[in-house]
Amino acid sequence: MRHPNQATLALHAGGDLGPFRRWLTARHLARCTYCREEVAGYNEMRELLPELAELPDISWNRMAAEIKANVRLGLEAGECVRTAEMPLHRGSLTGWRAAVAFASVIVLVGGCLVLQHPAPQPVHMAETAVESAQDGIQLQAGDDHMLGLMNGGASTSVKAVYHFDAQGSMGSRYIDPQTGSMTINTVSYAQ
Amino acid sequence: MLSKTKNRVLLAGFLGAASLWAQDAPLASSSVRIDLPEDSPVAVMKWDTGTSRAAARGAALVLDLNISLTLRNISPNRIHGITLRVVSQEVAMGGVGSVFQPGLNVGPGEVFPVHIVTKLMRPQASSGPLLQVNLDGVLFQDFTFYGQDKLHSRRIMTACEMEAQRDRTALKRMLAQGGSPALKEAILKILDRRKDLPEVQGRVVRGRALTNAGVAAITPEHERQEQFALLQFPDGPIQMIRGSALIAGGDARTPSIEVANLTDKPVKYVELGWVLTDSGGRSYMAGSLPSSDPAFTLGAHGSGKVSTGNTLEFSTGGKPLSIQKMTGFVNQVEFADGKVWVPSRQDIDSKPLLLQVMEPSVEEERLANLYVTKGLPALVDELKKY
Repeated sequence: MRHPNQATLALHAGGDLGPFRRWLTARHLARCTYCREEVAGYNEMRELLPELAELPDISWNRMAAEIKANVRLGLEAGECVRTAEMPLHRGSLTGWRAAVAFASVIVLVGGCLVLQHPAPQPVHMAETAVESAQDGIQLQAGDDHMLGLMNGGASTSVKAVYHFDAQGSMGSRYIDPQTGSMTINTVSYAQ
Repeated sequence: MLSKTKNRVLLAGFLGAASLWAQDAPLASSSVRIDLPEDSPVAVMKWDTGTSRAAARGAALVLDLNISLTLRNISPNRIHGITLRVVSQEVAMGGVGSVFQPGLNVGPGEVFPVHIVTKLMRPQASSGPLLQVNLDGVLFQDFTFYGQDKLHSRRIMTACEMEAQRDRTALKRMLAQGGSPALKEAILKILDRRKDLPEVQGRVVRGRALTNAGVAAITPEHERQEQFALLQFPDGPIQMIRGSALIAGGDARTPSIEVANLTDKPVKYVELGWVLTDSGGRSYMAGSLPSSDPAFTLGAHGSGKVSTGNTLEFSTGGKPLSIQKMTGFVNQVEFADGKVWVPSRQDIDSKPLLLQVMEPSVEEERLANLYVTKGLPALVDELKKY
């Protein structure tokens, strides 16, 4: 059996199809349980959306700016993690894709509403920290390890003593396996 | 001040940087700039970057640098310590690293190796050398110092050298009084202390900007103000008055200790040792609380406060430490005239808690390693050199 696509079902649920396509879709729905459930889902969504729309004072400009910023952030993050060109899939908005799309819309709208009425939340800037790491010490900014000093080589397992300085530096002390010399590495914020 | 090697290396540095557009490539030694002043007491004999590599990650370069340096003492004095500053100007937040080699005893004309292994991330679209290694300071046998001292190398190396003299003297006394067996016993005790040292991991966090509402939202209900127990040294120049920090689990925020100068000499730096005890009664050397504010000073018989707004997070075995008790002690003092005080051997030996948590000094560890690798005769010969 050939099913109508999700867009057609959604338009049908909203009464937005032309007469001929509406007739065709209704004919299909009469014998297809799966598509009837899809349409029922769209109807439930339509009942929910007016309630959301009634919530007062949505700052659409702010929402637009936030969405734009998030899109840019996502693109930049994608650039950082992308290892190869991904093929672009062109498919119809059916099945699970439609479900994901709708869920995304709900999350987005809900997120914007929360942003409009925020509860007291900590405002975390990108944390800068000095910390002990595997085989060394490092300065970390957000999720990036900006500068690290290893205990004589990352591949070697050197027993080191770590030392914290509450003002923002950290040291590791070890005997360098290459030189045999006592060495003290320190990483700190700018002096 | 112009570098001896600056002009020669600069062009090569640019070329080295340009070659890094490849995804993963070995690095030429020219990617690193070694910058020594004209009147430096040490000279670079050679260096190479061995297995150093660069890999592209998005718009950034991730560098694994493995630098082997050979330096020569071209001064007329014996060198007892050297600190190199490791900087990449492109590194965000202006972080700086340093490599300090204590326990040296390098005579005029002699060479010594320095090994730097560093990882850093920097933007791809930048030019110039990937890493600069500068001389921050050199400490000589007679405690004279050479260098820019941007990283307070003078104080750090002087304190380290004073501890080294203190511990060498103690070991030499044992050798004189009890012979080789007594020296061996002392070294074995040092090795035991080192082996039994409780390990603690952690991080010092800066840059948490919180709104008042945010502070209220994240402040754990169980956060409490914990007072420091104070370990005083009878002959020390500084007395601790009181101190506290906000504790929640393994986190310690805003530690602060009031101190008083007991001497007639102004003090410009105080470093307090910080011991944590967990709910199981196990104690750990957590680190130090230094008075790194350049404006800090204690006049003769004056008082002041050593504090920080940073948060320290401690863990052990991958789990947050359950901090139950804190103990503070004075670990280092620098007077306005540049003289440095460190606790005496008697001060440390009289405090069982310190013997339990303090790592052996740099010199104790160096000499113990010499015993392990070359045996007792080599250790005795080494002590006779001083």
